[in-house]
Amino acid sequence: MNADQAASGETRIKGVAVSQGIAIGSAFVFGSSLQDVRPREIPETEIENEIVKLDDAIDKAKSELTQLGEQTQQMLGERSAEIFEVHRLMLDDPELIGECLRRIRAERLNADWIFLQVLEKYEQTFSQFHDEYMRARIADVQDVKRRVIRHLQGSAKAPGDGLPGPAVVFSADLMPSETIHLRRDYVLGFATELGSRTSHAAILARSLKVPSVVGLGPVCQKLTTGDPVILDGYSGELIIHPDPETREKYVKSHDLYQALAQKLVRSCRLPARTKDGKDIELAANIEFFEEVQPALEDGAMGVGLYRTEYLFMMRDELPGEEDQYAEYVRILDALHGQPIIFRTFDLGGDKAQKHFHVHQEANPFLGYRGVRLYSASEEVFRRQLRAILRASVRGKVRILIPMISCVSEIRYCRRVFDAVREELRAAGIPFDEEIPFGAMIEVPSAAISADLIARECDFLSIGTNDLVQYTLAVDRSNRYVDDMYRAFSPAVLRLIRETVRFGHEEGVWVGMCGEMASDPLATMALIGLGLDEFSVSPVSLLVVKEIIRRVHFDECENLAERMLSYGTADEVEQYLGSVYRRKFRDLIIADPNHAYARRGRS
Amino acid sequence: MIEKRLTIKNKLGIHARPAGQLVKLASHYKSAIYISRNRTEVNAKSIMGVLMLEAGHGSEIVIRVDGEDEFSALAAIEELIDQRQFDEE
Repeated sequence: MNADQAASGETRIKGVAVSQGIAIGSAFVFGSSLQDVRPREIPETEIENEIVKLDDAIDKAKSELTQLGEQTQQMLGERSAEIFEVHRLMLDDPELIGECLRRIRAERLNADWIFLQVLEKYEQTFSQFHDEYMRARIADVQDVKRRVIRHLQGSAKAPGDGLPGPAVVFSADLMPSETIHLRRDYVLGFATELGSRTSHAAILARSLKVPSVVGLGPVCQKLTTGDPVILDGYSGELIIHPDPETREKYVKSHDLYQALAQKLVRSCRLPARTKDGKDIELAANIEFFEEVQPALEDGAMGVGLYRTEYLFMMRDELPGEEDQYAEYVRILDALHGQPIIFRTFDLGGDKAQKHFHVHQEANPFLGYRGVRLYSASEEVFRRQLRAILRASVRGKVRILIPMISCVSEIRYCRRVFDAVREELRAAGIPFDEEIPFGAMIEVPSAAISADLIARECDFLSIGTNDLVQYTLAVDRSNRYVDDMYRAFSPAVLRLIRETVRFGHEEGVWVGMCGEMASDPLATMALIGLGLDEFSVSPVSLLVVKEIIRRVHFDECENLAERMLSYGTADEVEQYLGSVYRRKFRDLIIADPNHAYARRGRS
Repeated sequence: MIEKRLTIKNKLGIHARPAGQLVKLASHYKSAIYISRNRTEVNAKSIMGVLMLEAGHGSEIVIRVDGEDEFSALAAIEELIDQRQFDEE
């Protein structure tokens, strides 16, 4: 978020890289065009509707400003964040809002036009100030003006619509409902003011393989559609008006990357099999229908984690059985018989508050979330199971229950599952009788007792994101402790080893759907620990497949054993890094997590 | 209704941040609160209004408060502008 205006004229802004790759092209600022604002007469019956539109746009702008403020405060401190508070106060200003409403009613003109007029009047006044510091407030008024107009126009279109041609798309933030409109062939890159690695926009950008940077701070106001930009999805840097030398440098590394990607794509149809013949099931994590096709193109053998929460967060009401059924059928058809693991809804904290009477919790991560919601809202759980079961005749379905921490939870879920199956049988509705039922292992208690849980189900899938945070007692969004969040901690590795061993002893297969499975640095180690299935973020498919195909199972076992002898995460990463550099030097540029650059260096 | 004349002492005057502080404070009170400078009077709960005063260092302003909590409102505003000087130099 620090802008440097170099002497040359290019501007560099640093955000958070969330999807690898380099985008070179012109900017398209989503819904920011003030020239499009024209006066339009509004029929009397529509006036109140127009006012609601303005209220909505202002609310959206204010919530963005609150988030920008929080983000800035975390990164740069309180003083830097204060300007967003000022912008928010402008949108709370009783005089300003009052004038807009009065004028919309009196002049019967469209909200965006009136808002523009009112704000430009203030700009006019500020521009006549003698005090230079006071005059600078014009920039704030302009920022607020564009932010609200963007939302007023945004309600009518989605990003990606109206793209004149391939462009780097800029937006304040994207809701899942908006992101899915992005057209892969037109969006060269994708950048937002808000967001983090785990935000929807980030997840989607990664799966669509669009270079992407989020958390750039207030950038939409600095850009005009058509400005030449470079977006670096490795370093998180945005360069506006790049110098010719900068451009040339980027074109070169872009070409290098493309060449390697092309090389890897050639082997993506080949099986994920080690040199000595051990088959690994390599699948993709997805959340949206749109991600299925690109994942299959990169050689995924199905979906190892389908996150269904998105359906529950899209609208204000919970999805009905028919809505879910239709979506599941669409996804199963796109998979053409490849297997898919449905993870039943995994909501918690604020995501669950709306529907599940969740109260403010002191410790949401230790609270009411995942499977713990099901018994009190059994009808919602049943409805989802019915939809999945009915859709199951269209493909190869597996079901996975999130946040299992003890045996009684998985037993309860199985009872409900059996009851729903009985209902369907009684009603003569066909479904697949052989659906495997699995437990997600992401709580240490579940990992430690994975043998007991494995006896109750057909497979286990390790979710590393929560497992790491619960095992190490580290909230990775807390910047005071986030450096202690280490997937390669000996304690986490031992839990993974035990889970795999317990699962195998009980005769069930064990997969992993957490972020660690996508990390190329972990691939050999996880093969060596005996993992049967990897479900990875789609962008990692090619590189993980390539690694699997280049190694022997016994060398992975040796590596895993040696890895487990180290005392710290640093030592483990150093060791894995040294092996990685030796064996996979040519893959380093394709490494989505920059494991080589970031870690494992002595 | 009560009034008070104050001088702006912080170096940069009522720029964006102090204006925000003032508006937030004023909005806590039920009373109508106005600020005037050079015969322009604005609503102290409106940040645009407060910014439009262009009250730089050394300018004289008059606070006018009218309502049930006018005494506590004026005292709080006086503290912010006069004693704390918006927590600035």
